[in-house]
Amino acid sequence: MIQTMALFVAAYRELNARKLFWLSLGLSVVVVGIFGMFGIDQTGISVWPFGWSFDSPFFNSNVISPESFYKLMFMNLGVKAWLGLFATALALISTAGIIPDLVSAGSIDMMLAKPLSRARLFLTKYLTGLLFTALQVTVFALASFLVIGLRGRVWEPSLFLAVPYVVVIYSYLYCVCALVGLLTRSTIAALIVTAIFWLLLLGVHSGESLINYGTIASSLEVSAIEAELAKAQADADEDPETVAELTEELASQRSSDATWHSVHWWVFAAKTVLPKAIESLNMLERQLVVDARLRGGLGADAEARDETGGEIFGHGRVERAKFIEALRADENSRGVWWVLVTSLVFEGVVLSIATVLFCRRDF
Amino acid sequence: MALAVDLSDVEKTYGGRVRALRGVSVQVNEGEVFGFLGPNGAGKSTLVKIMMTVARATKLSGTILGAPVGHKPTLARVGYLPEHHRFPKYLTGRQVVEFFGALAGMERAARKRRASHLLDMVRMEDWADRKVGTYSKGMQQRVGLAASLVNDPRLIVLDEPTDGVDPVGRREIRDMLIQMRNEGRTVFLNSHLLSEVEQVCNRVAILVQGRVVAQGTIDELTAASRRFEIAIEGEPPAWWEPLGRVTRERAPGQGLDAAPSASRLVLLRTEANGGQASIDRLRAEGRTILFAATVRESLEDLFIRAVADPTTGVVSAPGATIGGVS
Repeated sequence: MIQTMALFVAAYRELNARKLFWLSLGLSVVVVGIFGMFGIDQTGISVWPFGWSFDSPFFNSNVISPESFYKLMFMNLGVKAWLGLFATALALISTAGIIPDLVSAGSIDMMLAKPLSRARLFLTKYLTGLLFTALQVTVFALASFLVIGLRGRVWEPSLFLAVPYVVVIYSYLYCVCALVGLLTRSTIAALIVTAIFWLLLLGVHSGESLINYGTIASSLEVSAIEAELAKAQADADEDPETVAELTEELASQRSSDATWHSVHWWVFAAKTVLPKAIESLNMLERQLVVDARLRGGLGADAEARDETGGEIFGHGRVERAKFIEALRADENSRGVWWVLVTSLVFEGVVLSIATVLFCRRDF
Repeated sequence: MALAVDLSDVEKTYGGRVRALRGVSVQVNEGEVFGFLGPNGAGKSTLVKIMMTVARATKLSGTILGAPVGHKPTLARVGYLPEHHRFPKYLTGRQVVEFFGALAGMERAARKRRASHLLDMVRMEDWADRKVGTYSKGMQQRVGLAASLVNDPRLIVLDEPTDGVDPVGRREIRDMLIQMRNEGRTVFLNSHLLSEVEQVCNRVAILVQGRVVAQGTIDELTAASRRFEIAIEGEPPAWWEPLGRVTRERAPGQGLDAAPSASRLVLLRTEANGGQASIDRLRAEGRTILFAATVRESLEDLFIRAVADPTTGVVSAPGATIGGVS
C-alpha cells in the first residue's frame, strides 16, 4: 500500500508539473461557466449576465424543466463534446508519455530493483494515467453540480456518475496508448496509434449504426410488404396482377434484407470485440436523462414528432415513428453486458498483453 | 564467512546472438567492498542488472543475501544506484529519496528521517528542496547515492557511482564507501576508476568479454608480480646475470638526451629480506645504491594484463561476443 500510494503521489506531482493539466482543468471550469450562463424560463432561453433573452416555442420551461435543460446541456455539451472529445484529446496528450517515460533507460532501473512486482508497478502506473482524467471529470462534475444547483435549483448527485463512465471510456483508449508506449518507448508513436485507434472506433461505430439503420428499415419494409400482401390476398376484388407484383417485391426485399442482416452481422461482430466508447456515453446519458423523449440531443423531440416525411433508406412503406421506435428498442437491447463488459474485456486483453511484455522485458 | 553475493555460471545472450555473459561466477563476502572491473561492453552492467532483477539471465544459479536472485522481498535490504540514472525533473532531491524509500516499503516517518540524514551526508542539504531538473550531474549522483541508501541496505550495488563527480566529491564518495564497509555493509562496486577501486576494495573481479578472468584480493592477484628492485649507479655487476633481470636507465636528474648511467636490478618474486644479501655484496664492492624497494603490480597493470591476450599482448576489443563461442 505504501508503494502504491508513493506511485500515485509521484503521478500527481508529475501532473501538477504539466501546464497542460492546469490548462485542461481551467478550460473545464470555463466550459461549465459558459453553460451556467444560460437559463431557461417560460418564454425561452436567457443569457446571464448580459440580460439577453431568446423566445422559443421548443426551449422554455413549459416544455423542458430547468433540471432537464441543464442535464441535457451537461450531457450533450459538457460530457459528449467537452469531456468525450476535447478533454479526452488533452488527457491523451498529457498522459501518453507516462509509460514511455517509465520504461526509458535510466529511470526504470531503480524502480525495478525495489521489492515491488513488475506487474504491480506497471498496472499502478497505468492507473496513474487514468488519474488525470478522473481529476478532470471530478472537477467538471463538481462545477456542473454547483451550477445546476444554483441556476436550476436542483441538486443532482447523479452527475457524478460521469466520473466513472468517462474514466472507463478514456481507459479504452489509454490501454492502447500504454501498450504502444511500452512497445515503442515513444510518446509520439503512442499518441499517433491511439489517435488512429480512436478514429477506427468512431468509424466502426458510424458504419455499424448506418448499416443497422438500413437493416432495421429493411426489416420494417419486409413486414410492411407482408402486411400489404396479406391484405391484398384477403381482398377478393384485388387485381391478381397486384398480388403477383407484391409477391415478387416481397421476395426481392427478403433477399435484400438477408444481405443487410449478413453484412450487419459481420460489422456487429467486429464492433462487439472493440471498445464501445459512444455506446458507453449513451448509457451514461440514459442514466442521467430519464425522460426518453429528451435523449439523443436537443433535436430529439423534433425528430420524434416528425412522423411524416420521405423514404427511409429507400423504403417508402416504413413509417418514421415505427422506425424510431425500432431504433430505440434496438438501442435499449444493447445492455450493460454488451456495451461495458465486452469493452472491458478488450481493455483487459490489451492490458494483459502489455503487462506480460513489461514483466518479461529486459531493461 | 557468509556470502552476500554468490553467483554461479551466469549466462546472458541478447537476441540469440550477442553473448553478454558467458558463465560468470562471482562470490562477494559479507562486509567487504568488492570491485567489479572490466573494459567497456565486458558485461559488468548486465550482471548488475541481472542481480537487481532489471534484466533476466539466460542461465543463472545463485543467491543475493541468501535468497535466490529475483526474490523481490530480499530487495528491501539491497540498495542500487544504476549507471546513467535519470530522476524525474519535477521532483526535488528530498522527494526522490523519500520516493525510493516508499518503494522499498518504508514508513513515512522513517523515510523522512532517513532522507534528511542521507541528504546531509551527501552534502545536498542546501539543495534538497529544489527540483532535480536544476541539479548538475554531480549533484544528481549525490542524490542518487542517498536514494540508494535510503532503505538502510545490507548490500549496496553501485554502478559507476563517481561518474560525473568532481575530485572532491569522488573523495567524499570513497570515504562513504569505507564508512559503509566499517558499518558492516557489503558494497558491490562497478567502476572504471581503478585507483579508487584499489583504495577501497577488499577484493576485485575482472570481467573481459563476458568472462571473469581474475578474482581475488589485490594482493593475491598481484602476488606473482611481487619483486625486489635495487637501483645502482653505473654498470650492473657481472655476477647479477643468473640472479635476476636488469635494465639500464638514467640516474635521477639526468636529461632525456643523456646516456643511461644507472642500472635497475630486479629480483622476481622476492620480498625485502631476500634482497639483503645482494645489497651487502653491492655495498662490499663499493657501489652506490640509489634505491631499493619491494614492488608489486598496480591494479592498473593487473587490469591491462588481464584484458590483454597473453600471447600477443593485444588488448581485447570492447564489447560483447557476437555469434558463436570464442
